[in-house]
Amino acid sequence: MALGPLILFSLNALSAVVALLTSYFAYRFERLANNPLLKAIAIGFMLLGVGLLVEAGTSVALGQTLVEALKSRVLAVLETFTYLSIQMLAYIVVAAGYSYIAFGRSQKAAGASVLAAASARVVDLVGLYRFAVASYFVVLVLLAFVVFQGILIHSRSRSVFSLLVLLAFVLILSAHVVLLVSVIDLAGSLFLVGTAIQFLGFASLLAFLIRSARVGPS
Amino acid sequence: MGQAEKPRSTLRINLDILNAIRDEGDAKPTHILYRANLSHDRLVKYLDELAGKGLIEVQQEGENRTYRITPKGVSFLIEIRRAETFIQGFGLAI
Repeated sequence: MALGPLILFSLNALSAVVALLTSYFAYRFERLANNPLLKAIAIGFMLLGVGLLVEAGTSVALGQTLVEALKSRVLAVLETFTYLSIQMLAYIVVAAGYSYIAFGRSQKAAGASVLAAASARVVDLVGLYRFAVASYFVVLVLLAFVVFQGILIHSRSRSVFSLLVLLAFVLILSAHVVLLVSVIDLAGSLFLVGTAIQFLGFASLLAFLIRSARVGPS
Repeated sequence: MGQAEKPRSTLRINLDILNAIRDEGDAKPTHILYRANLSHDRLVKYLDELAGKGLIEVQQEGENRTYRITPKGVSFLIEIRRAETFIQGFGLAI
């Protein structure tokens, strides 16, 4: 097997484990704190973890990356459509959670309609290549919103925890810029770079999980 | 005009009570009342709930009543602290 898909498999599988861990802790603490953002984080990261596992599994099974699948169209529906749809849905849920705490219940419908319009734009587009480009673009917009909220949150709290979460989302956003360019150019090596940056984002999230789990009784 | 202070959540009140009891060892109701900043009626309600869940135990000696945190209560306290730091990362407070 080529080295590319193997690296992609490793990075995505590790990122998926971190995403599922984040989802687990968000679910566990949501039961205590009963907060809608934690629920959104739990669902969003669970979807993200599943999506990353699909991407990892199919890249190793097919022996090719998403960009190569787009070129050859071999099982492209499984490789591209499933992963990108799950990923887009995951970030819609996370961004909806942030919009809920940012704008409150009264603006919930407005926030949801913006997100629905963004995803509808993708559904309108025909063709797998255009779907891939558009879905990465929508994810970029959603991540930009999440990063903006993260900056506001960190500027208020100045805690190391909010900084690690912000760093994670900034890296994931940067990764998606690279991934979007790689999909547009059908550049396989750039796609690997984007996946590596995304992995660094999940590594920051892992550092956050470890630090928050180390907290004692006082 | 200043923004009105948000009322404490039940979880935050439980955290304050458990912290007070743990710090005191054998805590008298008046000490808990002062530390948790609650009215007597509300304190009794919360203490009964915590005792019912096995998070604190009541010790009665004559007319004196004291409260002590149980091992389950210490575990719960750690869990709340972890939840607090986790949700702090996402800009929330318990």
